[in-house]
Amino acid sequence: MSTFFRRLKLLFARDKYLADLEAEMLLHRHLRADSLAEQGLDADQAAASAQRRFGNTTMLQEDSHNMLTWNLLEDLLKDLRYSIRSLFANPLFAVVAILTLALGIGANTAIFSVINAVLLRGLPVSHPEQMVYLHVEPGQPDGAGNTGNSDSSFSEYVFEQLRTQNKSLSSLIAYVPLGENKIAVRLGPIPEEASVEMVSGNFFSGLGTGTSCGRALSLADEKDHTAVAVLSYGYWNRRLASDCSVVGQTIYIKGNPFTIVGVGAKGLTGVESIPTDVWVPLQISPALNAWGSQTKNYYADPLWWCLRLVGRVAPGVTPQQAEAQLASVFSRAAYEHLGGKPKPGEEKRKLLLVPAKGLGEEAEGYKDPLLMLLAIVGVILAIACGNVALLLAARNSNRRREFSIRLAIGGSQSRLFRQLLAESLVLSLAGALLGWLFAVAFTSALAKWSGMEISLAPDRSVAFFTCSVMVAIALIFGLAPLLTVRRVPVGLALKDSSATAFQEKSRSRSSRLIVVAQVALGLVLAVSAGLLTRSLRNLEHANLGLNADGLLVFGLSPQLKSPSQETTLNFYSGLLERLRSLPGVRGVTMMGNRIGSGWSNNTTPVLDGMKPTNRGRAGMRWNDVGSDFFKTLQVPVLQGRDFLDSDSATAPKVAIVNQTFVNRFLKGREVLGHLVSYSSKTPFTIVGVVNDSKYTGIREEAIPMAYFPFSQMQEVGDMHVEVRTAGEPAAFLPQVRKTVASLAPDLALLQPMTQRAQFDASIDQERLISRLSLFFGGLAILLVASGLYGTLAYGVSRRTSEFGVRMAIGCERPQLLWMVLSEGLRLSALGLLIGIPIAVAAARWLGSSLFGLQAIDPLTFAIAAGGIFLVCLVAGLIPAYRAASIDPIRALRYE
Amino acid sequence: MPPTTRDEIPPGTLDLLILKTLYRHKELHGFQIANAIQTLSQDILQVEEGSLYPALQRMFLKGWLNANWGKTPENRRARFYTLSNEGRKQLARELARYGRVSEAIGRVLEPA
Repeated sequence: MSTFFRRLKLLFARDKYLADLEAEMLLHRHLRADSLAEQGLDADQAAASAQRRFGNTTMLQEDSHNMLTWNLLEDLLKDLRYSIRSLFANPLFAVVAILTLALGIGANTAIFSVINAVLLRGLPVSHPEQMVYLHVEPGQPDGAGNTGNSDSSFSEYVFEQLRTQNKSLSSLIAYVPLGENKIAVRLGPIPEEASVEMVSGNFFSGLGTGTSCGRALSLADEKDHTAVAVLSYGYWNRRLASDCSVVGQTIYIKGNPFTIVGVGAKGLTGVESIPTDVWVPLQISPALNAWGSQTKNYYADPLWWCLRLVGRVAPGVTPQQAEAQLASVFSRAAYEHLGGKPKPGEEKRKLLLVPAKGLGEEAEGYKDPLLMLLAIVGVILAIACGNVALLLAARNSNRRREFSIRLAIGGSQSRLFRQLLAESLVLSLAGALLGWLFAVAFTSALAKWSGMEISLAPDRSVAFFTCSVMVAIALIFGLAPLLTVRRVPVGLALKDSSATAFQEKSRSRSSRLIVVAQVALGLVLAVSAGLLTRSLRNLEHANLGLNADGLLVFGLSPQLKSPSQETTLNFYSGLLERLRSLPGVRGVTMMGNRIGSGWSNNTTPVLDGMKPTNRGRAGMRWNDVGSDFFKTLQVPVLQGRDFLDSDSATAPKVAIVNQTFVNRFLKGREVLGHLVSYSSKTPFTIVGVVNDSKYTGIREEAIPMAYFPFSQMQEVGDMHVEVRTAGEPAAFLPQVRKTVASLAPDLALLQPMTQRAQFDASIDQERLISRLSLFFGGLAILLVASGLYGTLAYGVSRRTSEFGVRMAIGCERPQLLWMVLSEGLRLSALGLLIGIPIAVAAARWLGSSLFGLQAIDPLTFAIAAGGIFLVCLVAGLIPAYRAASIDPIRALRYE
Repeated sequence: MPPTTRDEIPPGTLDLLILKTLYRHKELHGFQIANAIQTLSQDILQVEEGSLYPALQRMFLKGWLNANWGKTPENRRARFYTLSNEGRKQLARELARYGRVSEAIGRVLEPA
């Protein structure tokens, strides 16, 4: 047992320890008194004498007592108090150091908060670690269709089988939105849009969250498909000012009345990244179908995979065990309606349980950019620490005389070291606190800017991260003073400071090393920022293949009393007619998937009855669109014709393909007249070829596309309307609203915006990343410049008398200027040289996320390196100029 | 009263004296240790009796001593100290150090 543990043990048995000691000492005095009494003293005298010989009992007890308590805490407090005082004594140093650290720590805390929210954090439910998303790999079985992401959609039949036959999930929850986007709801007179999900009855009980008002949904609600709704806390708070009297009121969802029975728990926004506003139990009415589909019915069609599933693994069961247990149930259920087993050559579908963390599958797209940002802010922190290290080194070096005196008058080295450690602790603590505030401000601004409703605010795990960073910094800075203290000779105080110039050498060598490293890291960030900015510029000026300006776009989800193919088509054609007659409207068309929104239909085409054999490149995207589609979007028609009003449901089925489709599948052949289809069913005759244009977003690479008239689809549901206007598109919105309302009073325009804004939104992430990297790149250069400036300026101030001597013996001012400046330039040139290979590696890493330029872009590298060199030149010129303007007479009197 | 002048124990040697005393007597309580040092030094060295106790505590914390409560011959409760293995090693170290120091001092004091 080591001394430490013995001490710890005694610390816990402190009372007994003190009592023992007292008893022992008392015995001693008694025995001494007895022995003195034996020698003939009377009892009183003997006792007094024994006490005298024993000494001061209280003081001795205290001595023993002190051995127990270390005094560590007390010393620490003293050190901290002294550190704060000495920092106050030099407020400029303290402010600069703390601000620099706060920037570095704040940036890291902010980015880590985002990473935490997007990638790491569990769902806001009880025991989030038990939650898993159910995925199917690699997508639906052949022969089954899906809506949503193919790897996370299940049929209602599979859900029922999994729910009833599993032993390893304590609950299995199904959920599916009532539309691809928000849908129309009405609470009071004015229709609005909200995201509504239907869920299995165990949604709230399975997640283990309560309600803020009223009750949650129950299994009975699901069984009877009751028309009841639970509002989300956020929606209730935003829309209804947190008034519990809303329970019992009616909310119209797509025109259907639902009774509000409760409000969800605070913080529960659903189990996906897009927050849900309203939950209803699984419905069976055709008007309230999964994804707003007008034709397929998720309850009746076992081949339509459209439900999403989230489960809670039973306590004591690992996700792997649950996966194994569910595997056989799943494969039986999956192929039940497809001949009982996979088709020949079909990869067998597997059920996967994916831990529900962060934003789930939405997070995938954010992962790389976020890690990139984390790397960037990590570098920022390194540079910031470099600056503070330079500051500390300069400060401690100025205090060598103080240290030396303290050592000379008997201060111990360890005490001095502890003192410096306490100072660095105070600095990093203050930096971390301020940085935390920066991070809170930054994340709330970011959340507002990005429109994300998930909370990005730092939480407990972020606090842990920040504390770890802070402790690491405090320790690093704590080690530096160890070197300082060990090198302080006791006699220094007695010597003239010019005698110490020689000892400065090793210090300034490490300072130069830091500056060189900072320049190198600064170059890496500047190059990254440059590449990302140029990539963004390319995206912003990318050729879309269509004219996105002057276009207004909005979605419609018709709420027809008796939805059928015919009534829906009539509704749309009536609407088109009215919109076309509006003054200032140049053209109107429609599309099933809004261009620029990321939604698309993907399939393997059937061309003249056969699937193309181009292995791995046989895919195509398709969209169902209205008449005058290409004319309205101003996409050049290369051959044949645009869609016409006459391409009706009963007319011959026609299709239009794009140039890439022709190049890949019909190269060198006559294109018009071939038959193309998106499934093995009805073929469509190709009647036109159009230029390539962007479909899912600006980043999309050219891909084979086929367009079909929406009127000739098997299913017509939600559509998006494009209006080509003569002036500013947004100005037409009131007119358009009025026109829609005249046809369907309950119908809300879904996400109305300009088409330009829609395409812009498809590069939001790139824009954010590029702006942040530009900001951080600028910050890095600023820090590097101030580091270089500080080092040179400090060097000049140390060498004032030397410069005075040099001048006195005939050194010209320009020579002095060059002496200082050249040192700065040497350091920055060296840093740039070292930085280039690192920047090349970083650029390669960025490579895949760049648009329209090579990772090793010479122009960007040149600008970044040149920019840094220029900034370093300016940072060096100031101290160099000061050195050159030294007055030799005053300089010689300086010491 | 003291028959002869008594000298204070030179600083730093109290530990050595305690260790050595316990080495000889195996097991003693505090009063016996104080007496033993006096007796053995033929009453020349005087322990400031109270200072024995912080020293004993410190040595106990360092693991040089074991301590157990027991009864004195007069049937009173007392804490008896014995040397631990670590204590025996420490004694050897202290003795060596003391030897070196006193030899050095001797050399300085002897006329050249």
